[in-house]
Amino acid sequence: MDLTTLGGQLLGIIPLGDIVLYVTTFNLFMSVAALVFTVLIAMSRTEKQVEAQFGTLNDREKKVSKDEFKIRRFLSIICGIATAGAMITGDLFNFTLFVTLIGIVNIGIVSAVKEVDVLDSAFQYGIIAMLATLPLFGGAALILGTTGTLSMLEIVNIPTTAMMLFGSILLFIGVAGESGVAPFFATKAEMFRTAGSPFLVIIHLSSLLVIVRAIEILLIINKPF
Amino acid sequence: MVVPVPDVVSPVVVSLYIPAIFTGLLVGLIGLLGIAFQKRDIHVLILTDIVGLGMLIIVAAVGTDLAEALILPGLVVELAEILAISELLMSREMRKMDKKVDLIPVPLNLNMEIFETAPVFFAVILVAYGAFLSGFTGGAVAGAGILFYLISKIYRGVPSDIWEGISATAVVVWCLWLIGFLLFFAAPDYWLLGLFLAAFGLFIEVAYKAGLIGVIGREEFKRGKE
Repeated sequence: MDLTTLGGQLLGIIPLGDIVLYVTTFNLFMSVAALVFTVLIAMSRTEKQVEAQFGTLNDREKKVSKDEFKIRRFLSIICGIATAGAMITGDLFNFTLFVTLIGIVNIGIVSAVKEVDVLDSAFQYGIIAMLATLPLFGGAALILGTTGTLSMLEIVNIPTTAMMLFGSILLFIGVAGESGVAPFFATKAEMFRTAGSPFLVIIHLSSLLVIVRAIEILLIINKPF
Repeated sequence: MVVPVPDVVSPVVVSLYIPAIFTGLLVGLIGLLGIAFQKRDIHVLILTDIVGLGMLIIVAAVGTDLAEALILPGLVVELAEILAISELLMSREMRKMDKKVDLIPVPLNLNMEIFETAPVFFAVILVAYGAFLSGFTGGAVAGAGILFYLISKIYRGVPSDIWEGISATAVVVWCLWLIGFLLFFAAPDYWLLGLFLAAFGLFIEVAYKAGLIGVIGREEFKRGKE
């Protein structure tokens, strides 16, 4: 199994010293999609949440102040760029760093809101994200220790050993915790209940794209078929 | 293909690899156990740092140059996350209690006589000594002097223009450091100029980071009052 089976056509290699980027149709498309979405977010304004109040006919509006809006937009753009970077990087450790950057920025996007519930949820998510750095970096370090390289172009040619399998499982646990998917989604669920929608959507999008890319990386490391 | 370990590496070092990885995982498990027992958020936050230490042990176990280069980003990520989460915890508690927060929160009442008589003297000596040292160390020493001066001024109030001016200067001077660094590569003949630009750019930049702390503190202060 090689890179072209997974990612379609191998469009080219960008050798930057130690770090060799490779561009396939798959990760080029994902990276460009993340960047396009980032541009859309950078141009958009936040929503206003209007809630009907119980017992009266009044509505309650939740607005986002201008300072908060600016900070959120900045952090969302950083999150989008980090997602695009995680899509296209050809280096295992850079991938883990991009994923942790996404985790930190996700906390930052919701950190300035006024609802205590949302802050509570963001705190729980932050704790999980911090705990997830152990399997994430540990898995990458185990793969480095076993294969002697972090470049996926090299790893794809190295036959899988049991230690690499163990490292890749750790890596996946780390990515799952850091992006808050499957077993850990309960920590993240409340985070979306605040106002300011387009910026909150990038939290979703980044974790979805990162999981798809993480699966590609697991297939590259383990070569199951 | 298993990558062979070079002969120059002693077998003792090679045999340490597996125990080190198990140590890292054990440290992580101990941290998780502690988190499971603790109920207060602040304790949970402190204990997560232990799990981060386990991560550093595993990365360090590889023991090559590359691993050494990976420890630094690992550590930075660890610090950034713990800072972000503790800010989150602080703002949550502030919102729960509806309390005001000082410009630079200090646990003690620092209304001592030494803060009224000595600050200028101390600050001048520390800044002068820092300028003599130059570079990163000098910046830290001079920064301590400026921070000391500012803390003593808190009781009389510091105008916000000063904070913002200091932090803006820090960023401009940071460019001097970059220019000096570039000179090493672009024009190696002028290495002395590059060295001095880098040394004093870094000195002033690190010294003025004290101002940056102040600006962040003030914004936190403003947010707390809303």
